Amino acid sequence: MSESRLRTAIAVLSIVGAGIAAYLTVAHLTHTSVACVTGGCETVQNSRYSELFGIPVAAIGLAGYVLLAASAGFRSDLARTAGAAAALAGFVFAVYLIYVQIGVIGAVCQWCITSDVLLALLVAATFLRLREA
Amino acid sequence: MSRRRLLLIVAAAAGVAAGGVLVGAMVLTTGGSSKTAAPVGSEHVAAMLRGIPQEGTVLGSRKAPVTLVEFADPQCPYCADWARVALPVLVRDYVRAGKVQIVYSGMHFVGPESETALRTALSAAAQGRFWNVLELLYENQGTENTGWVTDSLLRSIGGAVPGLSAQKMLDGRNSAAVEQLLAAADALAQQAGVNSTPTFAVGRTGSTLRIVHVSSLGATGLEPAIDAALKE
Repeated sequence: MSESRLRTAIAVLSIVGAGIAAYLTVAHLTHTSVACVTGGCETVQNSRYSELFGIPVAAIGLAGYVLLAASAGFRSDLARTAGAAAALAGFVFAVYLIYVQIGVIGAVCQWCITSDVLLALLVAATFLRLREA
Repeated sequence: MSRRRLLLIVAAAAGVAAGGVLVGAMVLTTGGSSKTAAPVGSEHVAAMLRGIPQEGTVLGSRKAPVTLVEFADPQCPYCADWARVALPVLVRDYVRAGKVQIVYSGMHFVGPESETALRTALSAAAQGRFWNVLELLYENQGTENTGWVTDSLLRSIGGAVPGLSAQKMLDGRNSAAVEQLLAAADALAQQAGVNSTPTFAVGRTGSTLRIVHVSSLGATGLEPAIDAALKE
């Protein structure tokens, strides 16, 4: 796949991810319910794992997706490397959070799972882009 | 080494390191991966109480014209039934509307676990979350005096309440503020001559309340008395 296509894919995936993260951040900060088909979203959103140093985990995700979207906008080694590193960091954290949802909290939020799938695709896209460098 | 290979290695190392830092920070700040399953009812208790003012053991606006006092023990099974069945209706129809404030007057005669549970909930009052903890205790109530009030349960309840520090709650169980709330509740129960739970008293806020003998532990058991007080 050409680099320009990969950049488009990274931009689209990150913008979708940023949308989800923004929605969850606002819901967390305003204590409103989120639309949920898995039934565990509020439990996850209200758990002690929903914040890190007082910052909503969703907001950390939002920052990551914005960084990823930005990395798609530049054609430099720094952008390619930073994008791949950000996607992988997000994915490592996401895998841990899947474990927390299933193994510790005992509730699963479909928004988090959607975000995890996006991150897995972003890892693939950003590393393929790095190979094209 | 080729440039491409170097970039791949840098990205992989930086990604794993940054992800590892996030995971490590989360493990440290949440007290590790101690298995604390979400307590039963955490979602609907949070939803029921969301946005309603809490001050000490009072739920609802302090300006509400009618006051309902609930004398109850955290271990009493009928109190748990009332908490599950009647309270959500009363909160929705009267407390949220600013018509009624509910005061919990905690008793602890069922056994030592009653006092542990009560002290924990009272300690959460300092963070404005008394009712959240109390209702989750009722949702997760075990058989009287069988050792169900464990630190692990209390920690998991604390962890499930939005905006509550579970550690602060556990640390504050013997604080002067908790002793004061316990003593005030004991005095109130004695003064009202309450010797069984749950017992309810209803009346205009600020005036003498009357004990209501309820025929049902549903909301209908108290609604006539509340409606009458609202009309006074």
